[in-house]
Amino acid sequence: MNWKYIIKRLLLTVIVYVILVFIYSVLFNSVLERTIRVQIQEKIQAEIMAMTDMPSDQVRNYREQRMKQEYDRYELDKPVLQRILNRTKRTLTFDFGNATHMRSKTGEQNAWTIVKETIPRTVILFSTATIINLIIGIMVGIKKAQKAGGALDKATSIGTMIVFGMPAWWLGMLLIMFFGYTIKIFPPGGIQSTPPFDGFRAFLDQGYHMVLPVITLVILGFWGTSFLTRNVVLGTLQEDFVMSARARGIPERAVLYGHTLRTAAPPITTMAVMSLVNSIFGNIVFEGIFSWPGMGNLYFTAVQQQDVPVQITLLAILTGMQLLALAILDIVYGFLDPRIKVGGRR
Amino acid sequence: MTLKDRKDKFMEFWNEYKKVKFGLVGLAFLIILLLLIIFEPLIVPFEGATEAWSDIAYWQDYPQNSRPVWTNFFSKDKRTPSVILEDFKETELPQRGQVRFFEYEFEYDYNYDIAPKDMILRFKGDGKPFVTISIIRPDGKTIDLIRNREMIISSIDGARVSIQNNSGANAYNFASNYESAENLSGVARDRIDVMPVIMSKADVGITKGAEALKGTYTIKISAILREPQENIEKPIITMSGAVSGLMGTDNQKRDLFTGIILGIKWALLIGLLTSFVSITIGVIYGVICAYFGGIVDVIMQRIFEIFYGIPMLPLLIVVSAIFSPSIWLLIAIMGLLYWVGPVKTVRSIGLQIREETFIEASQALGAGHFRLIFKHMVPLLLPYTFASMALLVPGAIVAEATISLLGLGDTTIVSWGQILNSAFRGGAIINGYWWWVVPPGLMIAITGMTFAFIGFAMDKILHPKLKSR
Repeated sequence: MNWKYIIKRLLLTVIVYVILVFIYSVLFNSVLERTIRVQIQEKIQAEIMAMTDMPSDQVRNYREQRMKQEYDRYELDKPVLQRILNRTKRTLTFDFGNATHMRSKTGEQNAWTIVKETIPRTVILFSTATIINLIIGIMVGIKKAQKAGGALDKATSIGTMIVFGMPAWWLGMLLIMFFGYTIKIFPPGGIQSTPPFDGFRAFLDQGYHMVLPVITLVILGFWGTSFLTRNVVLGTLQEDFVMSARARGIPERAVLYGHTLRTAAPPITTMAVMSLVNSIFGNIVFEGIFSWPGMGNLYFTAVQQQDVPVQITLLAILTGMQLLALAILDIVYGFLDPRIKVGGRR
Repeated sequence: MTLKDRKDKFMEFWNEYKKVKFGLVGLAFLIILLLLIIFEPLIVPFEGATEAWSDIAYWQDYPQNSRPVWTNFFSKDKRTPSVILEDFKETELPQRGQVRFFEYEFEYDYNYDIAPKDMILRFKGDGKPFVTISIIRPDGKTIDLIRNREMIISSIDGARVSIQNNSGANAYNFASNYESAENLSGVARDRIDVMPVIMSKADVGITKGAEALKGTYTIKISAILREPQENIEKPIITMSGAVSGLMGTDNQKRDLFTGIILGIKWALLIGLLTSFVSITIGVIYGVICAYFGGIVDVIMQRIFEIFYGIPMLPLLIVVSAIFSPSIWLLIAIMGLLYWVGPVKTVRSIGLQIREETFIEASQALGAGHFRLIFKHMVPLLLPYTFASMALLVPGAIVAEATISLLGLGDTTIVSWGQILNSAFRGGAIINGYWWWVVPPGLMIAITGMTFAFIGFAMDKILHPKLKSR
């Protein structure tokens, strides 16, 4: 095992992450500070309103004094660059601050708490969809590769291209309209029925609510998976070692599942992990359409309510997830295929 | 490379391309889309709809949330389509002192089962004439829709009367002669649905969807002009149909077919320009990485990795939310965000090309970096570049539609995403207004498919090995 490479790769990930968080801080700085200034002003105004009998010069003094205090607290009187750097530092240490308007289910203001409770819901929805998608996609892909140029291969290839530019949220809208409102066999949105069930029935209920979004994702997703699997497997089937395995009289099944798939595993794994990660933030609107209370839906709401701390938190988490996935992939690659030495000296 | 060389190269490519059937289908779709853009003024049934798309006054005579006309083929009950009545018979009655009397008669053949949503009368002219509007039904009964009302006609906009909004009481009185007391008790005088009452058989159930009374209706408008400078001219009646246009109307009464056609040029512009900008950046970036190698390559690869780690769509949404960009700025931002796609492949191809002998030969002849990159390396990458461009177009169109769906897009243009946004907000999904949701999304999908066909066809020519075993 190449420890040096692993450490180098992880270090690079951390550096890239720091740079990206810095960029986000720059991008959000002015909007965020505008909101904070307005909040401070409202807060002080409310305090002054509460104190009825105070002479006007004292009010002015009090206002100035409180302003200074609050500006000090939020570091608004420091230079711009320092403010941005401080925010970057806080974001990197998971100190995301309080949300502007949004609240968590328990009523907490902390942005990280709000985001934290949505992560499992998103992961459950998209990992279910991705797993089903991969099972169907890889199975179809192998069948396609076995009879390349055949009827199934051609038909599914055309299918891949037909759904290539189809937005998942649009298909979701159509399915909700038809199954959710017209024939009413699936719930049109949400994660559970109202009133919610308990115990095992709650689990079943959540599964029932997941059917429609998962179907949508799988209908659009498996074509691409099968197309990629086909190309990878087909490329491997043309290699000499497959020919020699066949010549040695090894049964076709063993050639396919033993020799070919093992060699084709790294690219298929990449595809699997990347499609999971990509689907999570490629489908921000998707969750909104299905009112699935996950990260995408939260982002959707945060953008509309202009709640910047929640947006930054989500972006930081999503970016971290993507970078980590890429790093792990690179490292796992070395195990799956010893021929590949990513980043090694040429 | 001479012109002839180029032509030969192109013919060689075209001969290969011709063999890929779905590539030809994609090309055909692209040509159809381009033709639709070129002949847009002839196809769009409404003049000046581009500017007037978000102008409520422009669309006010059309029906709200009406189905497409062709749905009549599939349903038992035929709905009335929109129609404009312009032919009328004008009679001037004898003048009495200064007061003049005019009568206009319109004929309307009604052969449908479901009444129009509204009947709208418009006048040009000037002054404040007293107007009476009555309708003579095929069964001989007459309903006075408007009785002797003073109508203010402005010399600029004229006057507009909606029967649905103004004749509730009169329609109620007419219906109460025939309707059973039980049915009538459930209908509010000012909430009655006017058009079905006017166009149904005079029998019990007239307020509850009785059978339609088919035949020729005569609509009579009489106007009394008291002042000599007053005049009234060009009366027009619009029947706002229960079905309207090729693709129906939305909740702001806009014709959706027009919107779909107007959206084509924006979709192609967004898709092509974004993919052109970003793929050009990406390919040149990759080639430079490969050509220079060494420390330049290392630094540029690190920068690439930073961009590669950005979740594009969330960032695009954030940037749109902060800057609320125009469509041009949006295209520029997308172009600058989506360039990472081709870099890795281009770099690896470029590394191979760099080692070719002809590069070495031109280096020996004293060719500079610029010449080597743009004259020798980039042309070899052109096929790959075009394929990547075609394959990025659908993504760019979907990205714009997504931004628009969130309500962060450029609202001054008519894009399919904007139409879907108003459909989503206008409750099209809950109410099942499929004609408002299906066509825009389908157009996005079809345009995406067109470029996918073209891109995959080019890809197939580039990698002939994967064609079959």
